[in-house]
Amino acid sequence: MRPSRTSYPLSWRLMDAVEAVAAAVWPRSFSAAVPWLMLMPAVVLVGLLVLGLWDMADGSFRTLDTATFLPSDDYSLANYDRAFTEKLFFTVASRSLIGSLIVTVITLVFAFPYSYVMVRTRSAALRKFLLIALFLPFFIGQVVRAYGWLIILGSQGMVNEALGLVGVAPIRLLYNYPAVLFGLVQYMLPFAVLMLAPALTAIPEEMESAAGSLGANWVRTFIHVVLPLAKPGFIGAGLVVMTLSLTDFAIPAILGGGSQDFIANAIYDQFFRTSDQGMGATLALLLVAVGSIMVGVVFALFGAGTLAMGRSK
Amino acid sequence: MKGDRSKAVTLWGFVIAALVMLSAPTLVVLGASFTAGNMITFPPEGLSLKWYAAIAGATDLRDAFFRSAIVATICTAISIPTGTLAGIALAKYRVRFAAGVQIYLLLPFTVPLIGSGIGLMLIFGKWGLLGQLWPVGIACAVINLPFMIWAVTASAAGLDPDLELAAANCGAPPLSTFLAVTVPAVTPGIITGALLMFILALNEFLVSLLLVDARIVTLPVQIYNSIRSIITPDLAAISVVFIAVAAIAIALLDWLVGLDIFLKSK
Amino acid sequence: MTGPSKPFLNLGRRRFLQGVGLAGAAGLVGMPFGRAFAAEPEKPKEIIVRAWGGSWVDSLKKGVSDPFTEATGIAVRHDLTEDNEIQPKVWAAVAQKRVPPIHINWDTTTNATKSALRGVTEDLSDLSNLANVTELAKPVGLDGYPIVNTYGYVYVLAYRPSAFPDGAPKSWKDLLDPKLKGRIALYNDGIGFHFPAQVAGGGKLEDIPDNMQAAWDFIAKIKEQEPLLGEDPDFTAWFQKGEIDAACTISTNAREAKANGVDIAWTVPEEGAKYDTDGLWIPKGLPENELYWAKQYINFAITKDAQQVWLDGLGLPGVVPGVNPPADLVGDPSYPTTEADFKKLIRISSKVQVEHESEWFGKFKEIMQG
Repeated sequence: MRPSRTSYPLSWRLMDAVEAVAAAVWPRSFSAAVPWLMLMPAVVLVGLLVLGLWDMADGSFRTLDTATFLPSDDYSLANYDRAFTEKLFFTVASRSLIGSLIVTVITLVFAFPYSYVMVRTRSAALRKFLLIALFLPFFIGQVVRAYGWLIILGSQGMVNEALGLVGVAPIRLLYNYPAVLFGLVQYMLPFAVLMLAPALTAIPEEMESAAGSLGANWVRTFIHVVLPLAKPGFIGAGLVVMTLSLTDFAIPAILGGGSQDFIANAIYDQFFRTSDQGMGATLALLLVAVGSIMVGVVFALFGAGTLAMGRSK
Repeated sequence: MKGDRSKAVTLWGFVIAALVMLSAPTLVVLGASFTAGNMITFPPEGLSLKWYAAIAGATDLRDAFFRSAIVATICTAISIPTGTLAGIALAKYRVRFAAGVQIYLLLPFTVPLIGSGIGLMLIFGKWGLLGQLWPVGIACAVINLPFMIWAVTASAAGLDPDLELAAANCGAPPLSTFLAVTVPAVTPGIITGALLMFILALNEFLVSLLLVDARIVTLPVQIYNSIRSIITPDLAAISVVFIAVAAIAIALLDWLVGLDIFLKSK
Repeated sequence: MTGPSKPFLNLGRRRFLQGVGLAGAAGLVGMPFGRAFAAEPEKPKEIIVRAWGGSWVDSLKKGVSDPFTEATGIAVRHDLTEDNEIQPKVWAAVAQKRVPPIHINWDTTTNATKSALRGVTEDLSDLSNLANVTELAKPVGLDGYPIVNTYGYVYVLAYRPSAFPDGAPKSWKDLLDPKLKGRIALYNDGIGFHFPAQVAGGGKLEDIPDNMQAAWDFIAKIKEQEPLLGEDPDFTAWFQKGEIDAACTISTNAREAKANGVDIAWTVPEEGAKYDTDGLWIPKGLPENELYWAKQYINFAITKDAQQVWLDGLGLPGVVPGVNPPADLVGDPSYPTTEADFKKLIRISSKVQVEHESEWFGKFKEIMQG
């Protein structure tokens, strides 16, 4: 048998063939379209949601006829009028807006040190431990987790019992606004840490030691070196936490004791309790609008352009 | 050094507080699953495995678990390429209307889950796709896609245009450059994102509830729908088994790929 | 813009026909196992019944589903999606001309009435066993039998005996006692509480729905007591963990909590308590043969034998004469049997309820969220 011509391995030849195909279907002149082609699958996937919203938008202009439980045939702005004038909707909307901002700030404050330690530690075991601790809570599920909190923070829970030992009367720690905010922070924490970690991973450790050797203490190093470099991570984590807590349903329902509803709870009520799908759709669309505006504001303030460090050089 | 000490104390203060927040209810529930009593309590009232025995024979739970695993696999398989390409596109290129695209791609988070669930139910219903598992997997990919995209963009600082240029200058064709230089640079983001997508899909409840029927219920739907008037320790036991299975899967992944590398700083 | 456009309608129809074909094939395969009479339509392999979880589905399985399977060879699968949450799924299926996800919905009469008004229910007037049921089985204010009511239940005042050393609370007004501040619970939307609140607030039941100011005034006073709002599992957990001392809840759930060792008792206060019914109905869009067997299931559920076992589990009075109450509920106010028992209870027609429910829920929420 003739030895193969060169030591050109099979995988290379395969790669060459793939490149040839790629070049044929995707000539260089298309290169301006490259980023759009890369975005296309994601745009299509999210497009499913847009189609759903489109269906719901139709319903939002129809009122519910409680004699037939069918949406009206004619269009009107009645649902939108209700959404803007009824006190209940104003209460829950402002509660969720303010709540989501507070939650975002507190979550980032806790997520940064956690992420930093997880990324920078020299112990692989510790890193894995910190990582697993992030994922564990998901498996308990919201309902059972809330029961766990009841055991710990309830009127006769572990914390109140401990307080009782030093003579403090039981305090209601659950079922109020702070409890909902606390619940959201601990629910959002894993997301924020995981969004921050890759950004921190990308910051070379030498940059920190360089700042240190130039006489900056660790606080100054953090403020002037680490935080600016981690900005894409902060924007990502902040947006995720803000939008998810703005639209969250489960935590206010479970830890709010029923009187701390967020917008999503009002939407749930319309869809599932009063069967008014048009009103539910109206509130959902308004929530999408508000959330998107907030995202836009974040971009305007902090700049979407700084997202990619590699590009802005 | 004094500075290092104050740094460590501050950081660890936050980390320990975060660990307590994350783990306290989980530990209580884990402990409660071994109770001999009929209530979830901590410390448990005597030790027994009776609640594990109670769920051992439940084939419906096992079937539901496998369905959840299928949904999570489909979701992850779809979101890895989709999210990675989108993430790199946003990080690497100057896309026109970038802010608009970002807002659009964040829709899964700005739409409340109930809205997503109802909307997807209407769309999939229209197309006659309900009653199967794969649309549920797609739905999970849609509602969590921003995690995948953002995990990739957040790690895009690792992207070095000089390195890509160098590869191109050495004659590497574009696809090779992409696979050999660009993708490895964002791998930490891809792995983080994929792990998150998988675990979230495994535990997804509200949207799945609207898309499944009784023949194809997933585990979270099965568990939470079975609660009507009382929460019994068998739910704690199910959580423990669920965690154990997931832990084995993660350990396996760690052994195969090595979870450690993707977070360690360079 | 207007709902499903024509091509999708056609697709829906085609799928519907496919569904019929498949179900027919399944029936053929199942034939040798059942006693197939020539007159009977082909048997499906299984039917799906929506039910509530926990002791609710357990008792339905024992009393109705298992005996039904034994008699017909048709397996019964239970879908445990909440009644509120299955509703949009069924409505969407009917609107899109799809085969609905369930064969039978075990539902509150109020929710079922909404579905009946919307026209998504099959008529059940031809069930043979309707000849033997009481007046309670017939839905009020609807034509025919779009729903068959199967039992009644009471929204009792459940309480922790140790918190009421002088005996059971006599009035809903007892909930205003300062020592109960932060220690009472109501359903999220206030269901079960609106009507007794109307009486407790000094109003008249005849004024429902036109003037319910008395109810809202009383509920505003209750709000000052900082009540917790939740659903059945919340109530049980709160009683278990000592968070609350009293709640307005369905007797069945209080009874199950008691059976699980929670210190709990219940009463019907002097103003009365809301009495309502649950029922069974079949969504439109099922293949003919499956519709037939779904009807047979409901027909069986209103036999005396089925009711005796099913309702023993729930602790609720049925719609067939001669069903015996479970031993622990003889003479209990949550198990009304006599004229005098019913006098203490408040029953408002489903039609009035469905027409005004969203308005009441909204008003209740507005007070509670403020």
